[in-house]
Amino acid sequence: MNLFILIFGKIFSFLSRQFNLGHGSTWPGHIALKINPNFVKDYFLNNKTKVIIICGTNGKTTTSKLIETILKENKKKVFINSSGANLLNGIASSIILSSSLFKKENYDFAIFEVDENSIPEINKTLDPDYIIALNLFRDQLDRYGEIDTITKKWKESFKNLSKNSVLILNADDPQIAYLGNNIKNKSLYFGLNEKNNNKISHGADSTYCPRCFNALTYDSVYFSHLGNWKCEKCGLEKPKTNISSLPYYPLAGEYNKYNSLAGVLLAKNENIKEEIIKTSLKKFTPAFGRQEEFILKNRKIKIFLSKNPTSFNESLATINSLKADNILIVLNDRIPDGLDVSWIWDTHVEELLQNINNITVSGDRCYDLGLRLRYAGSSEFKIEPDLKNAINLSLEKTNQNQTLYILPTYSAMLDVRKLIIGKKIL
Amino acid sequence: MKQKITIGWLYPTLMNVYGDIGNVKTLQKRLEWRNIECFVKYLEPGFKANELNECDILLMGGAQDKQQEIVSKDLYSKRENLKNLIEKNVPGLYVCGAYQFLGNYYKKADGKIIEGLGIFDLYTENSGNTRLIGNIIANSKIFSYLIGFENHGGKTYLGKNIKPLAKVIKGFGNNGSDKTEGAIYKNSIGTYLHGPILPKNPKLADYLIQKALENIYTTNIELKKLDNFYEQKARLAIAKKLKVAI
Repeated sequence: MNLFILIFGKIFSFLSRQFNLGHGSTWPGHIALKINPNFVKDYFLNNKTKVIIICGTNGKTTTSKLIETILKENKKKVFINSSGANLLNGIASSIILSSSLFKKENYDFAIFEVDENSIPEINKTLDPDYIIALNLFRDQLDRYGEIDTITKKWKESFKNLSKNSVLILNADDPQIAYLGNNIKNKSLYFGLNEKNNNKISHGADSTYCPRCFNALTYDSVYFSHLGNWKCEKCGLEKPKTNISSLPYYPLAGEYNKYNSLAGVLLAKNENIKEEIIKTSLKKFTPAFGRQEEFILKNRKIKIFLSKNPTSFNESLATINSLKADNILIVLNDRIPDGLDVSWIWDTHVEELLQNINNITVSGDRCYDLGLRLRYAGSSEFKIEPDLKNAINLSLEKTNQNQTLYILPTYSAMLDVRKLIIGKKIL
Repeated sequence: MKQKITIGWLYPTLMNVYGDIGNVKTLQKRLEWRNIECFVKYLEPGFKANELNECDILLMGGAQDKQQEIVSKDLYSKRENLKNLIEKNVPGLYVCGAYQFLGNYYKKADGKIIEGLGIFDLYTENSGNTRLIGNIIANSKIFSYLIGFENHGGKTYLGKNIKPLAKVIKGFGNNGSDKTEGAIYKNSIGTYLHGPILPKNPKLADYLIQKALENIYTTNIELKKLDNFYEQKARLAIAKKLKVAI
């Protein structure tokens, strides 16, 4: 039965690519699960492949790719679901695509990034060896609901994990850290340990104690609600971290420090040698749209996927630290972006755009973005609804030795890439 | 002498989930552009009830359930002050959770009833199955077409002593069945529209400002006209998307 699904799935996926019917990363799995709802469960039964689940609002794709790079450098056989295909059907598809029809493939690891809402279902199906929980920020409230709703679901689902599952949790995110509280599983923590005097700024989400709901106090704040937190009332505090710094980070930005720490912590728990980890971090190339670089018309373009207030603010903070002078922001409101664009009002554009001269906005909701900038007090920006024109326009104003930074939402990122490289992503 | 308005922002760190800060920014800028001084009072849990009396406009947004519980406790103790201000025509904007909380009660999906402040004659029920989510356009006599985004689990039903704010053209509004959206009582406005509501609905923003100035200076006020080019473009984009002529 499952062999039939594999054959069928592979043919389907081949055809859909040949005829450009979509990128073929969810449909084969969708059909497979229709034929056999236990397709994924069956695959991992009597199979030695270790399963790594990665969840959180921001950083899933980068962290998956980082772990994939380290494990492959360590000569392990790995497969991974493609970014965005992070529901059960995406996982089923990745199994179809990575399986051979003629011999049994022996993968050492499967790495799956998983959608926030699918965690309970996927934990039940997969019995993962590792779960990495990165963070939770407000994101697509029309689709995911509010953060407290998600953490409640996760906490419930973590209770039913088998005792061999290892949790790798962000100690700096109070709600994520609390997932390891009172649980029988081994929990490892990553977090930063840098002193600063930052204060919680507007739009931070989880600043209340996850146990007694008193307001938390912070020694240092890294960004949003991530920091060295403590509840003065019940005594709950940031857990001791198993890792808090690395000699080298492959990508710029505070948020990428967390992604790297999470990946390396897993590698260390797998007893992978320091040397191999170091080489992998140096070799790492960004996942598509995540600080990905292109050269067009002799100018460098860097794409920073920016899909919610936190990722947008962190992208802006990072490109400021890189002395950005040219920016194109693209805001769409399609299903993968979330239909609700009110989050742009939670971004800190007032402070973060003031040093950037060449600002263009585009996308389905470019006028909302224009309105946001107008109320932020900027007047020097250009609105261009047509994305192709917007890219050309902002490139023309970018000097030869400078970089154009593009901050798109998810579907906008796909459109931007398509225009730049002239083909669909796979 | 330069005119001055104090905005009271109720529970900015707890009730801010849906970009509600945009409403504050809109009022601040529209005052600044008219050379009117603006002061924002951040009213966090534990604020003194009489601080409300210093406010010329009140704003309150929506929140997650747990946050809302903290706010409920805090605001119950200041109910009389708030009611007085609303009765005295102090303009205010109460969005989503705040709007529901001004009503008589909120019936949760499990049947449990949470007492409201009883200032607006309305009640809300949450049947627990589907949330009402999407872009919305509603027509109001005073503010013409109101454009925003709604995302709420509760369905609100108006009583005899309160008027709807607008008639739903596209979207769900108060309850998805009677075509009403929001409520208006004296100069206080309750609504499910975020987006946030004020940036794309400048008539409503200016109404709050105008009413506040009229209260302060006890005279009719005509506000200086502002250029609403971007506002209009953003409104038209949604109207076109929803195939509504505005």
